Amino acid sequence: MKNTIKVERAKKNWTQAELAKHIGVSRQGLNSIETGKFVPSTLLALRMAKVFNTTVEILFQLDDTEVAAFG
Amino acid sequence: MEQSKKTVNQHSVIFALIYGATYLPATWLLKHHVFSQPVSVIIAIVPIITFSIFIFKLIKAFSVMDEVKQRVQLEAVVIGFSLTAMLMMILFLLSLCDISNPNWFGYAHLVGYCWVFYFIGWFISRKKYGV
Repeated sequence: MKNTIKVERAKKNWTQAELAKHIGVSRQGLNSIETGKFVPSTLLALRMAKVFNTTVEILFQLDDTEVAAFG
Repeated sequence: MEQSKKTVNQHSVIFALIYGATYLPATWLLKHHVFSQPVSVIIAIVPIITFSIFIFKLIKAFSVMDEVKQRVQLEAVVIGFSLTAMLMMILFLLSLCDISNPNWFGYAHLVGYCWVFYFIGWFISRKKYGV
């Protein structure tokens, strides 16, 4: 799964620690999500979309292999 | 909120230390001194009580962790449990072949191996999620 968290974070000029505080996770946890090692729950994804004032679909997208497998 | 999470985590660490501080002297006392049976039972129960409190605090700490840390803990427990079950199965099968070494694989050692396997799982899972 791809995500645009880093891009959205840069737009807000937030550090990982600042975003982590906003959505209620640890900085290491956020790093794990941002680097795609961990896929967050719907609740956390929605919370993230809310703080960025965007939608979950913009923040998270299926990558090409996932699209090919289930498309 | 962040402060209360920290406090809950600290409590679990403190009670882990208290458990260690009661378990080791209790095993030493029971191994090297002869007590009457009721006294021995009381000494044996003390670490069980502190362990129960530690587990209660650990579960409480788990409930306030973020979802990445919860996943790490869950995978650590799954790996730890699987390895412990495997070891016990191997020991049981070996005992059926009359091969057993209580000096290395007694009950006390199994408790230690169980924790070692949990920490192996914790290490693997932390590495996997990069936390």
